Amino acid sequence: MRLRIIWLIQSFKTALIMDKKLKLIGKSTPKLDGSERVSGRAVYGHDIELPNMLHGMILRSRYPSARIKSIDCSEALELDGVECIITANDVDVNRISYKRDHPVLKGETVNCQRDELAAVAATSRETARKALRLIKVDYEVMEGIFDPFEALKEDARQINLYGKGAESFGNKNIAESFTYSHGNLEEQKKNSRVIVSRRYRLPRVTHCCLATSNITADYSVLDGRLTLYASTQVPFLYQRDMAHALKMDPSRIRIIQPTIGGGFGSKLDMYPFEPICALLSMKTGKPVQLLYDREEEFIASPTRQTMVIDLTTGADAEGKFTFREVRIIMDNGAYTSWGATTPFVMMQTYSSLYQVPACHFRADAIYTNNPFAGSFRGYGNPQATFSVERNIDLMAEELGIGKDEIRLINANYPGEITGQGLHFKTCGAKPALMKVLETSDYERKNREKQNGRYRRGVGLASMLHVGGGAKIYRSDGCGTRLKLDHYGYLTIVTGSSEIGQGSETVLAMIASEELGIPLQQIRVINTDTDIKPWDVGVHASRTSFVAGNSLLGAIRLLKDKLNLKAARLMECETGDFLYEAGSIRADQKEIKIDKVVREMHFGSPNELCVAEYFYEPPSSFQDKQYMGDVSGNYAFASQVAEVEVDTYTGKVKVLNVYVSQDVGRVLNPVGLQGQIEGGLAIGIGYALTEEMIYEKGVLQNPSFHEYKLLTPVDMPDIHFYPIETLDEAGPYGSKGAGEAPLIPSAAAIANAVSDALGVEFQSLPLTPENVLRAWSEKRQHEPANSRKV
Amino acid sequence: MNFNTESPATREELLQCLRRHQSADFRLAAGGTDLLIELKKSGPEDLTLINLGRLEDEEFTGITIHPAEIRIGALVTAARIHKDPYIHEHFPVLHQAARSLASAQIREVATIGGNVCQASPSGDLSCALAALNATCEIIDMDGKIRHETLSGFFRGPGKTSLLKSEVLKGISIPVNQDETLMSGFIKIGKRLAMECSIVSIGYHFQMNATGTVIQAGIAIGAVAPTVVFCTRAAAFVTGKKVNDLTEEEQLQVAGLIRQAASPIDDLRASAWYRSEVLFNSARSIFEKA
Repeated sequence: MRLRIIWLIQSFKTALIMDKKLKLIGKSTPKLDGSERVSGRAVYGHDIELPNMLHGMILRSRYPSARIKSIDCSEALELDGVECIITANDVDVNRISYKRDHPVLKGETVNCQRDELAAVAATSRETARKALRLIKVDYEVMEGIFDPFEALKEDARQINLYGKGAESFGNKNIAESFTYSHGNLEEQKKNSRVIVSRRYRLPRVTHCCLATSNITADYSVLDGRLTLYASTQVPFLYQRDMAHALKMDPSRIRIIQPTIGGGFGSKLDMYPFEPICALLSMKTGKPVQLLYDREEEFIASPTRQTMVIDLTTGADAEGKFTFREVRIIMDNGAYTSWGATTPFVMMQTYSSLYQVPACHFRADAIYTNNPFAGSFRGYGNPQATFSVERNIDLMAEELGIGKDEIRLINANYPGEITGQGLHFKTCGAKPALMKVLETSDYERKNREKQNGRYRRGVGLASMLHVGGGAKIYRSDGCGTRLKLDHYGYLTIVTGSSEIGQGSETVLAMIASEELGIPLQQIRVINTDTDIKPWDVGVHASRTSFVAGNSLLGAIRLLKDKLNLKAARLMECETGDFLYEAGSIRADQKEIKIDKVVREMHFGSPNELCVAEYFYEPPSSFQDKQYMGDVSGNYAFASQVAEVEVDTYTGKVKVLNVYVSQDVGRVLNPVGLQGQIEGGLAIGIGYALTEEMIYEKGVLQNPSFHEYKLLTPVDMPDIHFYPIETLDEAGPYGSKGAGEAPLIPSAAAIANAVSDALGVEFQSLPLTPENVLRAWSEKRQHEPANSRKV
Repeated sequence: MNFNTESPATREELLQCLRRHQSADFRLAAGGTDLLIELKKSGPEDLTLINLGRLEDEEFTGITIHPAEIRIGALVTAARIHKDPYIHEHFPVLHQAARSLASAQIREVATIGGNVCQASPSGDLSCALAALNATCEIIDMDGKIRHETLSGFFRGPGKTSLLKSEVLKGISIPVNQDETLMSGFIKIGKRLAMECSIVSIGYHFQMNATGTVIQAGIAIGAVAPTVVFCTRAAAFVTGKKVNDLTEEEQLQVAGLIRQAASPIDDLRASAWYRSEVLFNSARSIFEKA
């Protein structure tokens, strides 16, 4: 009850904020760290150099599945410049990962190509590399299991010896399992005029961060403190995980985040190379730096989940959706990362994207000898959305109603509480749909069909994602500390992290908007766990939402102090003064803000102009059945992709993408545009070209040469139309926007290619070869005289 | 990766350098865009890199136009070929191949000699040069010159007729006999830049005033152990009005081009795909726009 009242008061305050005329919010503002990054001044992890620093390197397994008989480091240790080599036998550590099923160094068995057997610290990278070649490992090679369906068989061997699948889920190779349901499935099946069942296969792709994985560890033997320069996106969870791994007191570990060259979810988990680097520093008493090269980055950094989705969906005669029944098998790889919890997000899409009366969902993550999958922008949602939106097109075709119409009549609406308990207090689903349909001229383009070599098509898809954080940890909150100095400069110390998404800039914009201080006089401090207050980290598109609300709370407290002092100095009643151009104004009176602070510092009673605030979103934990309103608000988006398919080569050219997204309110238009375009680059790559190709657990294309990340010239024209629903939970009414742009892209593109060719696609990527093969098969089944080409 | 470098500045220094290293392990480096990646992988010890990048010799670094041929020095970069107005006007196939190669940054350093000597079946410049009936000019460590056609020069993937005592000096292309041209380069890949060809076709037809082909060159890349000159397809087209081929003739020549290929399955594409796309792309050359 008390929470509810506090929340109402907050809503009232945000409502007040929304009524104000905004000066900076909503105006394009270049990223504060942009010039540092493009000019090369930004300090990335790779740029760090500490006195006496050593270079670490990791020996990985030669085989994806083997028993380790022995590891002999004696020859390597004799090499000049080698200071330390560690193997599993030399360290006293806990297993890591969210299921604690991952040994930092592997001593008994290796279970995937990435597995770490030994690590070297040497005076140069060259020496470390030489030393790795001198380490002799005696393996007893085992036949690996690379197909999750094989791993589920009764006679399959247990892949991860620390897995708890047998006790928890009835199969030794199940790493994690989620079951969810609402509504009466059987009844809804009876109500269905059309039922479509399909099996979808989604590929393994990776983040391709421009900065490869890196860490510099600096352990002091004097005070037993460990400083880590680590590019994590969740510094406080990382600190806790590191302490657990190393059996240390968390507060003796200080995490400093250098400039991060791309995260996209890849830095949500802590991986073995990080405690390994810390161990090398602790053993040598010297700083140690460990950097991946690009090949190692492909081989040993996380991936998106590859999965097989069996989806059955129904609709009644009017096209209203009746039910969704889904069974997902995810390839977990050898160990369990946060990525295994992607069903948590996927089930929201199955249960609540469009109105769904009944839903049954089960997803299992299965251990295999493939590399483990991690979390990746979108967090399972691109896969789920792909299957849902493909099935919708198929149902519309069978029912003979428009692909636009079926989506409009089922669209989510404001005030809806879904079967899962998600409460859409504001909802831009339908406006977004209508916007892309109108701007893309969907109806006409969908009607027109070509016969020649080049065929155009349009595809439509929507998405639902959390927009106000996601309550998956005990706190989804964020702390802020403010310091206004006596020259009128503001320092914002925020718990949140900048990983390139532009949150620093948005925070400075908010402070400038509220306090009337120019951007140039605002600094954001956000990289040091010794200084910054708690925040759960960058994930779930939450940063501007939680950190923005937290900052607004702190500003309110700071203003209370400033108002009191200013009123005294201006000799007037205290009130809600106007903060503008470095001054505080009341009616005819005005005083410089820095003068007010000077009077606070140096006048009586002497006090600091500081404030701190902790914001916890109004979301709630879901119960054991995954029912509950998990986020502060929800983001909706639709996309129309227009493609041209070359039937001679199978090459798909994306001509235009029309994007409309409910972002609550646009805070920084240019920053938002960047998120949209960057998201689409990932989404289009997922749809068309990106794929990690494995042969028996070994990656065949660990380079940008053969892993086909798209380039700027492959990008289509992007037409973006934000929808502003002014959701009262978010700062100025805004919602999280970071992940949404890529979530429906692959679905929209696949629908467009299907539309162009009249061919169905159930897997990604739609490489020229896959498209041409499908096209050739279709033509073989057509009567010869109907061929037009 | 550990190697010594030597950077000869004159032709004589280069030949001396070659003579000196005959019994040692050395590699010739021009742009180094392929070589450095290879060396990074193989991690050689005690290798000498003979860096041609400092060589100041017009015959290696220049483009010169002679009455019967145009000579392109082995060290001319892809970017320079792309920007050269004579090549643009007279050899569109080479111009287009240079433009489609890798990325702008790589084109600034990658050389025509490097592309040819790598003898990659998917070498874009090599494919265009084969269509142009180009000839290699090779100098040995004693300064002796020999000439060899490009088709003879390629011996397999990564293999050429070049001896350890030799270095490629330049490439000669016969000037066009007539300037009515149909010339172009088709590159099939998954993306539009930074791409290695899955299939490529270079074609260069010279026609007389009536539109009859008097000289034809067709070469294909990434579909056989080497770039292949399609002799039978070129002969088929010669003497015909290339703009007026019947549909049956179009299919015939596309079929002949496909027959010249012996594609394999690899990471980039299957043999089936290469064969299909080769046929379709070949056909598209002769189709009316």
